[in-house]
Amino acid sequence: MKGLLIKDLRLMKNMGNSLALILLMAVGMSFYIKDISFIVVYMAIIGTTLTSSTISYDEFDNGNAFLFSLPVSRKDYVLEKYLFSLLMCGVGWLLGSIIAIVAGAARHALVPAEGLMTAVALLPVAIGLNVVLIPLRLKFEAEKSRIAQIMVMGGFFLVCVLGAKLAERLGIDLNALGERMPAMSEGAGIAAVLAVSVVLLFISCHISIRIMERKEF
Amino acid sequence: MLRIENLRKSYGTFRLDCSMEVLPGRVTGLVGQNGAGKSTTFKAVLGLVKPDGGRIEILGKDSSQFGAKDKQKLGVVLSNAGFSGYLTIRDIVPVMSGLYARFDRAFFQEQARRFGLPDNQKIKEFSTGMKAKLKVLTAISHRAQLLILDEPTAGLDVVARDELLELLRAFMEQDEDRGILVSSHISGDLESLCDDVYMIHDGKIVLHEDTDVLLDSYAVLKMDEEQYRTIEKRYILRSRKESFGYSCLTNQKRFYSENYPKLAVLKGSIDEVIMMMIRGEAL
Repeated sequence: MKGLLIKDLRLMKNMGNSLALILLMAVGMSFYIKDISFIVVYMAIIGTTLTSSTISYDEFDNGNAFLFSLPVSRKDYVLEKYLFSLLMCGVGWLLGSIIAIVAGAARHALVPAEGLMTAVALLPVAIGLNVVLIPLRLKFEAEKSRIAQIMVMGGFFLVCVLGAKLAERLGIDLNALGERMPAMSEGAGIAAVLAVSVVLLFISCHISIRIMERKEF
Repeated sequence: MLRIENLRKSYGTFRLDCSMEVLPGRVTGLVGQNGAGKSTTFKAVLGLVKPDGGRIEILGKDSSQFGAKDKQKLGVVLSNAGFSGYLTIRDIVPVMSGLYARFDRAFFQEQARRFGLPDNQKIKEFSTGMKAKLKVLTAISHRAQLLILDEPTAGLDVVARDELLELLRAFMEQDEDRGILVSSHISGDLESLCDDVYMIHDGKIVLHEDTDVLLDSYAVLKMDEEQYRTIEKRYILRSRKESFGYSCLTNQKRFYSENYPKLAVLKGSIDEVIMMMIRGEAL
């Protein structure tokens, strides 16, 4: 696991210039965009896509065949990818949050505590990205996986929109339903969502291990 | 060290059905044409493909029980795969240290210098020969017990090939319980390195022989049609029609050179034997 992590970190070194550019863009955007959640999510997505890039590096030139002839099990490989992805996604989220909060405070457009709360509330979104993207990337080749990811994301939004329309047609007021939910503090709500995303992450990891164990190289 | 019993794997019309063994202290060669089943056999041993049937035992363990920890004892070269071309040797050293408990960093770095492998250049920019040297070096730098080498000398010039074969010989001399399974297109490598050779064709082992026996007792006999009609065919393994008459492969060279002094008896090389085993007809 340690060797694989070092490998991925070293591979990322190749993307140094692109990463610096992305960071610069985030700083630039923070001066114009009022909604800080955009920058936080943007950085978290970039962090997650780095994992996808390392998987592509591994696949290139039949590299996986060699990788699995080293003392690396399929399970080790998947666990390392999740760890690396959470690490990168976490770093992206942290950097995005810092940039957004500092820029917001500097422009007097945001109270730091509020910014922090928004950033924490977006953490499940960041984890959720990994839940969906990693198994899809492991299941399909780079190009197919991109299409699959778009379809899954599109499908998710479609279900949400259709669900809301259906509720409207049936006369169910979703806002009122939300208000009638047991009173829960904002912090507790975020903690609950966070807990759900961690559970989903474990399920996703389990699925990814199954995907890798079935593969032949 | 390695025992393969009736390993079966099918891809479309290709069927692999092979049995072979690598014993401690021995270097065993696997030869055959492209697509004969060499790489599939290697991949099945390494758990990269799932066999349809049969049994593989590696270092005393069934392959289904042979886990990542056990792979510490293997050194592997695959003909068409290696570390990502975007890494450098400087990147690989800590990766190998992280993966192998017994990685000999000093040996690896010293040999890399000896072979003139640049420390800070991306592997994808290496020449074919440099890549081949690096692959072998990574396979022998962690005190493995069994080496599984698929075409380790491909693309090397004569001098570099000799240096690598020397490294493999030194690897074997350090511990008499070590073993190597190696495939190669270059029969010279196999003749000078291997103790025994398996020949694979269309997914099946068609010949297994000690290299010494192969070189001493095998021969190709050249004869005209009249000689072919009268010759004793008991020790002829394969025969092939030629413009001048017939070529025949035998594993009893002395018998024919003593009893048929007029016959042209050509000393068997692995190349000749492969050619006759594959293109000749069994009598």
